[in-house]
Amino acid sequence: MVLTGVGVVAVGLALIAAACGGGGKKATTTGAASVSGSISVEAVWSGAEQASFKAVLNGFMAKYPNVSVSYKSDGDQLPTVLATEVSGGNPPDLAVVPQPGLMKQFVQKGALKPIDFAKPTIQQHYAPVWIDLGTVSGKLYGIVFKGANKSTGWYNVQLSNAAGVTPPKAWTALLSGAKKLQASGTKAYSIGGADGWTLTDLFENIFLRQAGPADYDLLTQHNMKWTSAPVKKALSTMAQVFGDTSNIAGGTQGALLTDFPTSVTNVFGNPPKAAIVFEGDFVEGTITSSTKAKPATNFNEFAFPSVDGKGADYVMGGGDTVVMFRNSAAARALIDYLATPQAAEIWAKRGGFSSPNKDVKASVYPDPIQRRMALALATAPVFRFDMSDQAPAAFGATVGQGEWKILQDFLKNPKNVNGIAAQLEASATKAYGH
Amino acid sequence: MSEGANNTAEPSSATAPPVLRGPGRLRRSAVALGFLAPAIVSLGVWVVYPTIATIIRSFYNAAGDRFVGIDNYKALFTTSVLTTAIKNNAIWVAVVPAVVTSIGLVLAVLTERVSWRVVFRTVVFMPMAISLFSAGVIWRVMDQQDPNVGAINAGVNVVRSAFVSGGPLTQAQSSTALATGSISHGFTLKTPLHPGTVARLGLTAIPPREIPKRAKQAVLPKPVKGEIAGVVWRDFSPRGGKPGRVDPGELGIPGATVILHNSAGASVATQTTAGNGDFAFSSVKPGTYRVEVGPQTFTVPYTGVAWLGSSLITGAIIVAYIWIWTGFAMVVIAAGLSAISREVLEAARTDGATEWQVFRRVTIPMLGPVLAVVFVTMVIYVLKVFDIVLSIAPGSVQDSANVIALAMWRTAFGGVNDFGLGSAIATFLFVLVIPVLALNVRRFRREV
Amino acid sequence: MSEIAAVPPRPRESVAAKILRALTKTPVQILLIAVAFLWLVPTIGLFLTSILPGTRFGLQGWWTIFTHPHLATLENYRQVFSNSSITSSLATTAEITVAGTVLPIVIGALAAYAFAWLEFPGRDWFFLLVVGLLVVPLQMGLIPVFRLYNSLHLYDTVIGIALYHTAFGLPLAVFLLRNFFVGIPRDILESARIDGASELRIFLKLILPLGLPAIASLAIFQFLWVWNDFLVALTFGRTTQPITVAIFTQLRQFGSNIDIIAPASFISLLVPLAVFFAFQRYFVQGLLAGSVK
Repeated sequence: MVLTGVGVVAVGLALIAAACGGGGKKATTTGAASVSGSISVEAVWSGAEQASFKAVLNGFMAKYPNVSVSYKSDGDQLPTVLATEVSGGNPPDLAVVPQPGLMKQFVQKGALKPIDFAKPTIQQHYAPVWIDLGTVSGKLYGIVFKGANKSTGWYNVQLSNAAGVTPPKAWTALLSGAKKLQASGTKAYSIGGADGWTLTDLFENIFLRQAGPADYDLLTQHNMKWTSAPVKKALSTMAQVFGDTSNIAGGTQGALLTDFPTSVTNVFGNPPKAAIVFEGDFVEGTITSSTKAKPATNFNEFAFPSVDGKGADYVMGGGDTVVMFRNSAAARALIDYLATPQAAEIWAKRGGFSSPNKDVKASVYPDPIQRRMALALATAPVFRFDMSDQAPAAFGATVGQGEWKILQDFLKNPKNVNGIAAQLEASATKAYGH
Repeated sequence: MSEGANNTAEPSSATAPPVLRGPGRLRRSAVALGFLAPAIVSLGVWVVYPTIATIIRSFYNAAGDRFVGIDNYKALFTTSVLTTAIKNNAIWVAVVPAVVTSIGLVLAVLTERVSWRVVFRTVVFMPMAISLFSAGVIWRVMDQQDPNVGAINAGVNVVRSAFVSGGPLTQAQSSTALATGSISHGFTLKTPLHPGTVARLGLTAIPPREIPKRAKQAVLPKPVKGEIAGVVWRDFSPRGGKPGRVDPGELGIPGATVILHNSAGASVATQTTAGNGDFAFSSVKPGTYRVEVGPQTFTVPYTGVAWLGSSLITGAIIVAYIWIWTGFAMVVIAAGLSAISREVLEAARTDGATEWQVFRRVTIPMLGPVLAVVFVTMVIYVLKVFDIVLSIAPGSVQDSANVIALAMWRTAFGGVNDFGLGSAIATFLFVLVIPVLALNVRRFRREV
Repeated sequence: MSEIAAVPPRPRESVAAKILRALTKTPVQILLIAVAFLWLVPTIGLFLTSILPGTRFGLQGWWTIFTHPHLATLENYRQVFSNSSITSSLATTAEITVAGTVLPIVIGALAAYAFAWLEFPGRDWFFLLVVGLLVVPLQMGLIPVFRLYNSLHLYDTVIGIALYHTAFGLPLAVFLLRNFFVGIPRDILESARIDGASELRIFLKLILPLGLPAIASLAIFQFLWVWNDFLVALTFGRTTQPITVAIFTQLRQFGSNIDIIAPASFISLLVPLAVFFAFQRYFVQGLLAGSVK
């Protein structure tokens, strides 16, 4: 395209207009109308989350009236369906994948298109650590749209009051509080051991604080061994909870058979079986849909405590990454839109959503609990993405093997720190390839 | 085995190969081809082609771009995950087809003449109609360990509680190191006591809702000459308080059994605590004594059998599977029963056979082909059993419950995405079927 | 022979009935009632779970409804139905299921007759091969067939999904029907052949009517397997959604979801059950009698 003199002036004027407009809106109305097409999106979201995401897509279609977007929910079958579609040559235009590891696998297969065109928008709204997450071999392939703050704990307010226990700011306070809860007649911990990922989240929260972000990054890339001292130290700290078997709902055996949703209803149902459950901000959704507990009066949340005095405001979290399989003007517009705070605010208003976008207004979050968690996620001084989600799936995200299985064995036998560390190292070496 | 007067009913044996000579041979083969054509196309495209593609794929690596020969097969037999799966499938194959076919046969036969046959068959058939996924869900719920949630353990608990009795408290610990014990053995205060002293038996880890309603503020009684008195109370205060000291707000435990032991350890007296937790043994002879909160105060809670635990999980899933699939066996066998010609049976009866002989020597053999279908189908389905293991086994025991098809699924479609190894596992599964079919070849040939 | 002529015709009873007359009636009835009750318990449990509020599940077993009958609610059912995509998906489900049931039965019956009564070289081995295909799991065909459908433009169509089910339902259809047809008395067929009937005519006029019980039982199972299928429809459809997929879109990511699964199971149960009842009447003994000479 040859830029004539007029063209240059026109572009210049448009840029000035955009700059005066305060940034954020790049396309003029005519620009948006010229984008047309029909694109498809797939994600894991169904039920209420699907409705919320569709509201976001409707916001996009309002801005780009000549584009139509269709959404399909694959639920927990997403890896299968996407793998089939990619192998079969007919993937959707966009997909939202729950693990960066899955994104990396598709990049290696050559199935994803880079989204570097959206970098200006993204860099404006996201902290650099989020951009690094989506970058493979120097190119940006994905951006996290929906985040999850996993450095949270949830507790039963009545049980805590009856025991005279307040949310712990330090790990030692957690342990002494747990003892007090036990003396008051309730078990302290509800552990969803059947779902291995709850155990990996606990490890990562402890390790991030105790060993620090630098070691966390080394371990994520398996440039540090699982048999090294910091890892063993974190495992021993974990054992302080796992080993307190009379203080776990259902005991060790019961915890191994408790899945995540049940571990939540154990704490907030009636009668409650334990006082505390560790997991991320998505616990709130489970509480409101499966129990009658009300915020502040029945349930409340606390930030994961500091360990050895460190890391009180560190956040370990997860998120769903938007990736692009097919490049088109419409697809690019949608990616760009999803990186804006407006898109995130549509869902944030509806609840059950934490955005890593730091320009999302705090006031859109519907209640103080969600606000605290979301803001902590977006503005944490140290943020790290869930380690097991970044690892090769064979190690970090598969039922019955790898980290999930080995930590379940650790729950069964928390004294075996050395043995477990050795198993983790062996499994990681096999999966990472180094 | 066919015996007796069956020659008119059963087609005469043709163990010799079909006639290949004679007029119209080509025409006959063409006719046969006409009948077979749609099936050949359908199976060829949708089943055979993917099978061959899978077998070929199994010789390549995970990404599919490098030929690795039999590496995948070597991996198959060396990982422990797969050896457990193979072992489990062996259990499944040994148990399930025989049980399902037998129960199905018995039920089909028994209900033949019952007037409410349709209702009964519907009841047994319903598990299949609910969908295998939902059936798995309901069994997972029923197998829950907590007797308040899992139906099976609730039933066991009902039976058990007929034989077990105890007090109102289901959990307790001593609040200080001065007393030792457990709820099943009672808590004994180690400090020796003489008449005229007072004992403090503080307990914690008691949920407030388990304390009887008539409980009052605990009071430490004053020492009385010749008496050993004391208090049993819930020694916990939310805002501080000292263990071992009766603090304001701490309730006594009424109705607790307190046992007085003499220096030899024998129990000499028993008392029950009052509303404020007080008890007193009067007219106690001089000597050294110990007091104990007796186990009668407590009921050891029933934790339930861990049906979903790693040792019982395969059994639990098998039970659910039998519950689901017996309906299939019963309906198919019932269809077979209804097709048996009455005339053949009449002929047998005329020849003087008793009912039982008719059943054993006429009905069962005539059901032979149908029974074979049910049995062989179940063997093959059980070799590739997958959905139900996925829906019933919690994540922590899935490797104990692992079966070959599940291992294949996880390898190919789970996070690992190793289609090479997954294809090898699938090919292995195909190979396993061959002995099954070989065992039945003779049967087939005889049937014709 | 004259004795038999003198005996009044017996009531139409089956084989087993005569056996049972030798035994006492009552213990069998009791046994059957006990079996029926035990068999029903889990199903009743699921039903009761579906009428309990979702917030109670996981904490109290469904038998607590007997002590707290006021808790029963139809809210779960209402929520499932209020979703409009479910009602529209019923039509799609019906289309897929009917096609996926009729096709394998027709194709399978034709092939089964060939294996049972036609002669051609390699027949037995070929039959064993078809039976052996029973072992191919549904998942294995997903990727190759997906690729195929893309080029044939069968992706996201009712017929595409139905054809997949047809193919995977054929091994069982052929197996069951062939073993059933084999039990038809040879002389019936021989006399028809001698009379000059073509194989097709024999098939339509003789084999199919005589094989009705087996066809009926096959139809029942194939129907409910296709009706309840989820994975195939999810993989090969995007806008084409049967009810299983439509219900699935209502599941929450981290919930126990039993308050959706339980009522959905019962709603979905009604149709296969209706089919079951409709086909029961083909299980009538004695179809062979009288149809011969």
